[in-house]
Amino acid sequence: MSRFNLALRLLWRDSRSGELTLLILALLIAVSSSTAIALFSERLQSTMSQQAAELLGADLVITSPELIAPAWLEQAQQLNLISAHAIEFHSVLIEHDELILASIKAISDTYPLRGVLKISEGDAGVESIVHQGPEPGTAWLDRRLLSVLKLKLGDTLTVGEKPLLVTKIITYEPDKKGDFFSFSPRVMMNNLDLLATGILQPGSQVHYYFQFIGAAQAIVEYKNWLKPQLNPSQRVMDSRENRPELSSALNRAERYLGLSSILVILIAGVAIAMATTRYTERHFDATALLRCLGLKQQEILWLYSSQFVVLGLVASAVGSALGYCAQVGLFYILRELLPQSIAPASIGSLFFGFIIGMVVLLGFALPPLLRLKQVSALRVLRRELEPRQPAVWLVYGLATSLISLIIYKYTHDLKMTVSVLGVGIISLIVLGLLIMGLLKLIQKRLDGMSLLWRLGLQGLLRNNRASISQILAFSITLVAMLLSFNVRNDIIDDWQQQLPKDAPNHFALNIFPNQVQDFKEDFKQQHILGSEFYPVVRGRLTAINQIAVQKRVSKDSQGDNAIHRDLSLTWTESLPNENKLQAGEWWVSLQPGLVSVEQKLAESLGIKLGDSLAFTVGSQQFNARVASIRSLRWDTMKPNFYMVFSPGTLDAYPSTFITSFYLAESQKELLNALVKKYPSTTILEVDLILQQFKTLLTQLTQAINFLLYFALMAGFIVLMAAVYATLDQRIVEGALMRTMGANRRLLRAAQLIEFSVLGLLSGVLAVLMSELILFALYSQVLHISYHPSFYLWLLVPLFNAILISLVGCWGVRQVLNKPPLLILRGL
Amino acid sequence: MKTQINQVTNSVIVTEGLAKSVLTSEGVLHILSSIDLIIKSGESIAIVGESGSGKSTLISLLAGLDKPSSGAIFLNGKSITMMDEDGRAALRNQLIGFVFQSFQLLPGLTALENVMLPLELRGDKTAKAAATALLHRVGLAQRLTHAPKQLSGGEQQRVALARAFVTRPAILFADEPTGNLDSKTGANIIELLFELNQENRTTLILVTHDHALAARCHRTIRLEAGCLV
Repeated sequence: MSRFNLALRLLWRDSRSGELTLLILALLIAVSSSTAIALFSERLQSTMSQQAAELLGADLVITSPELIAPAWLEQAQQLNLISAHAIEFHSVLIEHDELILASIKAISDTYPLRGVLKISEGDAGVESIVHQGPEPGTAWLDRRLLSVLKLKLGDTLTVGEKPLLVTKIITYEPDKKGDFFSFSPRVMMNNLDLLATGILQPGSQVHYYFQFIGAAQAIVEYKNWLKPQLNPSQRVMDSRENRPELSSALNRAERYLGLSSILVILIAGVAIAMATTRYTERHFDATALLRCLGLKQQEILWLYSSQFVVLGLVASAVGSALGYCAQVGLFYILRELLPQSIAPASIGSLFFGFIIGMVVLLGFALPPLLRLKQVSALRVLRRELEPRQPAVWLVYGLATSLISLIIYKYTHDLKMTVSVLGVGIISLIVLGLLIMGLLKLIQKRLDGMSLLWRLGLQGLLRNNRASISQILAFSITLVAMLLSFNVRNDIIDDWQQQLPKDAPNHFALNIFPNQVQDFKEDFKQQHILGSEFYPVVRGRLTAINQIAVQKRVSKDSQGDNAIHRDLSLTWTESLPNENKLQAGEWWVSLQPGLVSVEQKLAESLGIKLGDSLAFTVGSQQFNARVASIRSLRWDTMKPNFYMVFSPGTLDAYPSTFITSFYLAESQKELLNALVKKYPSTTILEVDLILQQFKTLLTQLTQAINFLLYFALMAGFIVLMAAVYATLDQRIVEGALMRTMGANRRLLRAAQLIEFSVLGLLSGVLAVLMSELILFALYSQVLHISYHPSFYLWLLVPLFNAILISLVGCWGVRQVLNKPPLLILRGL
Repeated sequence: MKTQINQVTNSVIVTEGLAKSVLTSEGVLHILSSIDLIIKSGESIAIVGESGSGKSTLISLLAGLDKPSSGAIFLNGKSITMMDEDGRAALRNQLIGFVFQSFQLLPGLTALENVMLPLELRGDKTAKAAATALLHRVGLAQRLTHAPKQLSGGEQQRVALARAFVTRPAILFADEPTGNLDSKTGANIIELLFELNQENRTTLILVTHDHALAARCHRTIRLEAGCLV
């Protein structure tokens, strides 16, 4: 029989006898979760790339906070490019005493250039495709708006000062952006009506999208002509090179899902290592015999590793299929955040899951397998001869390298990879030592306990490493789930409840300078408690001491977030309330060209006193010197600013004003009056925004929890692997105990104690860690007091103990069922 | 026969028509057939026979570790064939001690804890004192806190002997007690076994291949192909 046939035959026998079940299950979990994430990411990326033209709405798009130069449009015309444009902004709409923040899109006649619009003409109306937007004097609304504002088709909607006839329901637009404000329902109108709304004035916050289609060569030429002329707040996107941006929420979801799958892979890897260790130990005798019969060491290794390769290929194939099904679930959970049609999956991503399966198998199964190579033929006569344990550096080195590669794959950031790995390793070591200490404490207390408790706890202490692995696996997974549960449900509510009763609950933006005094008088007359009115100019930080800011930040830091968008720049004579100077001096002599920087942003960007900061406002640039650094509290619900300038610095730029105010429930009708009187002002209700955040968070945490269930399953595989590693010994001990007169009830009770304590320990550890993390989050980040959840301290360990007891006792049921006769037969 | 058995006094084990068969892929295998035995209190019995003759099966039935296919077994006048497993376990704890060829100590317990175990299973509060005394008796006073893996084969078997006798059993089953020991150590163990047996007035049932050892017992029972000869 050829060696490979022998390998296959041994593999088949071992599979049928259940030897490899746990290993296969662990591999399936690792592969399916990795495949699900890979498919999810790849389909998203493909959607953005393949459908870029449709998602951009054109072959090339210029985004700008202001109108572009006429020369740019003339150049496009000369290149025979067809153009369209869209202007997007937010406005509060009020009809029938109901109000809502809506996203308004005013489009030109040629929109959309790529893709189609879909509309419906009533609740029961069939969706139809159109190639042109609304006519002047009309508006198309998101279905949600009709419901909230109690409108129907044929009614009038007033946008700013312009009444528009509502003619259709818009159900799909090709280039809908995926940002937070896409939660605001859509009003689509003709750009010819825009002037009449009175909303757009110098300084207003709007986004302009200039769209072009044409021959590929012309597009490239136009783009190359444009690029040197763009200012930092303008972007050009080409459907062939750039994909439209995923929302930042979706970007983060992608990254956190990836990191969650690493947790799954790690726990599954531990299960694979434990299952392989047992497998190899049960094959020592057979291996010794094969060596006696003439097989060499390398041939032994080949014999077993080829079995594992075949096993890995089959399990990875099945796991990839399961992963395919799982990613369907992920897309369903996140459907509201995603583009409407998603590109199909490619073979490449399925292959990625495959590769992960083989790599995980190699990383975690190879060290125990190598022991088989060391089995001595002499073992046939001297059974006490055992091959030495694999080198620690090999075991942990392989696992660490593998996990590092996978982390890097998801983060694409070396610094973040090292941070995540470092924090992970330190946490595991600290937790492992803590658990070891707890187990030693239990060991010390054993003498004083009854027989039942000693028997039960000795089950836990029989293999420290296995017990530590199990407790770690469960507690880490539970921590992730508890945090995700808390984030979804409690954090925003707790933060809100900590605010003073009359803290501002509305923000008013886009107040024009000539409206400020009227606003103040209206507040005074209506006894509305308002904060200061601050002028605002939208601008972008571009350089620090002549070095481009992009070179000074790490990904996802506060600084990183601040440099990729326009900031609200303001000026004031005196230090704003609730701001505290940490370094430098506040300007005394009102000299322009000075700036005060918020402390955390300064730390993130490495900004120091005296540094020269460069800003752009539209196409204009200016510099300011850092005169002071200040700290502030972001949760006062008053306007706060990263950059505050000395008076005179921003005089050359158009500005609007911002303020915040408190409206009691009984004063809510005043809001309608304010909106009607100041139609160009955007009024944000904090409650509504928080509600939208909660909705977003709920979806993201649901997706992450979906993956964490994989981790929980992997945790149970670790438990079963640990149980099976000791099953033979447990059976002998159980038979011996029953030989000496112990009844089944005693043995069952001891098993219950063992697994309950395991569950309790991991549950308590999980609650402890999650409480510590939440305490840090509440006190250091949110600056609010934290109240522990006592019901969690009770419920989580209890529930965990019950679940693990059920599974563990099921796993060792043979111990009670095998007859004590086995003792006499030496089994 | 039944009346006669019932009338036999001082019998600690009585079997009547004891048989054991198992179903294999090749059909029914009769391991034991029609075993009738009377063992008196205080007797020492050697069970001898070739490998596969049914010795281990016989003592497993006599000790209540297995149920016969047919027949009856009485231990101290109680029928164990009618008992369930927990009932037989309780009876074993009360009446029976075991010594095995492969010692069968619990690896996670010290020598003292291994010897205490049968008494603790009874709820006996004097377990520690009794176990300590017995370990002194078998010459292991200095090894009370040692784990089995720290003991030699002979020392492990002495611990096993102490464990077997700590409950002062009515019956002791010893299955090839010296099978894993060298001849000198084995001889010492046998001496200790018989001394303890005499001190405790236990009925000893010994499975052995050693004819010299069998000769030390009051009676020898020979099994051939599952039958008494």
